[in-house]
Amino acid sequence: MPVMPRRRRKQFFVRRKVCRFCVDTNLLIEYKDVNTLRQFVTERGKIIPRRISGNCARHQRQLTRAIKQARLLALMPYTPQAPVA
Amino acid sequence: MRRYESVWVVNGDLPDEEAKAIIDKFSRIITSQGGVLVGVEDWGRKKLAYKIQGTLRGYYVAADFAGEPATVKELERNYRIDDRIIRYLTIKKADHIDPAALQEEIAARSKSHQVGELEGAAQPEGVSESEAVESAAEGAALSPQDSSLVESATASLPQED
Repeated sequence: MPVMPRRRRKQFFVRRKVCRFCVDTNLLIEYKDVNTLRQFVTERGKIIPRRISGNCARHQRQLTRAIKQARLLALMPYTPQAPVA
Repeated sequence: MRRYESVWVVNGDLPDEEAKAIIDKFSRIITSQGGVLVGVEDWGRKKLAYKIQGTLRGYYVAADFAGEPATVKELERNYRIDDRIIRYLTIKKADHIDPAALQEEIAARSKSHQVGELEGAAQPEGVSESEAVESAAEGAALSPQDSSLVESATASLPQED
C-alpha cells in the first residue's frame, strides 16, 4: 500500500512585486520630494525593507540615501513627534 | 568644476529680512570662492520634522552652483560659523560641467525672472544683467515710508476721478 501523499504545503499567492522606480522612470528619487519618500517609510519613520516594498537593489540604495538626507534637513522625521505634554 | 546643490536652513524664529540677507551673504561667498551661481531657490518657511535648537520652524534656501571642492569647503566652514544656520546639506550633482551649457542655463534662468521688467530690452552681456538685479534690489530696499507714500498715492487715484 502506497504511502499517503504528504499534505501539500499551504499555497501562498505571492503577488509579484515590482520596483516602482523601474516602472515609472519619471519618478526621481530626491531628498526634496518628501511626498514620494514618505511612501517608503513606516508610521514610525523606519525605512521599509526591499523585501516588503519590492524595490530593486539600485533604487533602494538611492532611496535610503535620499531618506537619510531628508531626515538631516528635518524634512522628514527620524522618529514620530513625541506627544506634546 | 563640479556641479553642486547646497541647502541651508535658517532658524525660522528670525525675521524674513534676515533670512533674505543670509541668502545674499552665502551667494557672495560662493562667487568669491570661484563658484558660478546658477540659481537660488527660496523654499521659504517650513515646519521642521523635529525640534532643532528649540524651534520647529525653519527657512529653507537651496543654491545651485558650479565650483571646486574648495568652494564647498569654504561655504560649509561659513555655515558652521553662522549660528543662525541650523542645518545644511551640500550635494554633488555632477563631476564635470560644460561651461557653455552652464552659461546658457544661467541666462535662461535670469531671463525667466526678469521677463516682465525687461521686455524688449536686449541684454546680451551677463554682467549687465547682474547689474540690473542689483539695481532692482536697491529699489526693493526703499524705506517703508516711501512704499506707504506710493500706496496712499494709488489709493487716492479713484477719488480724483
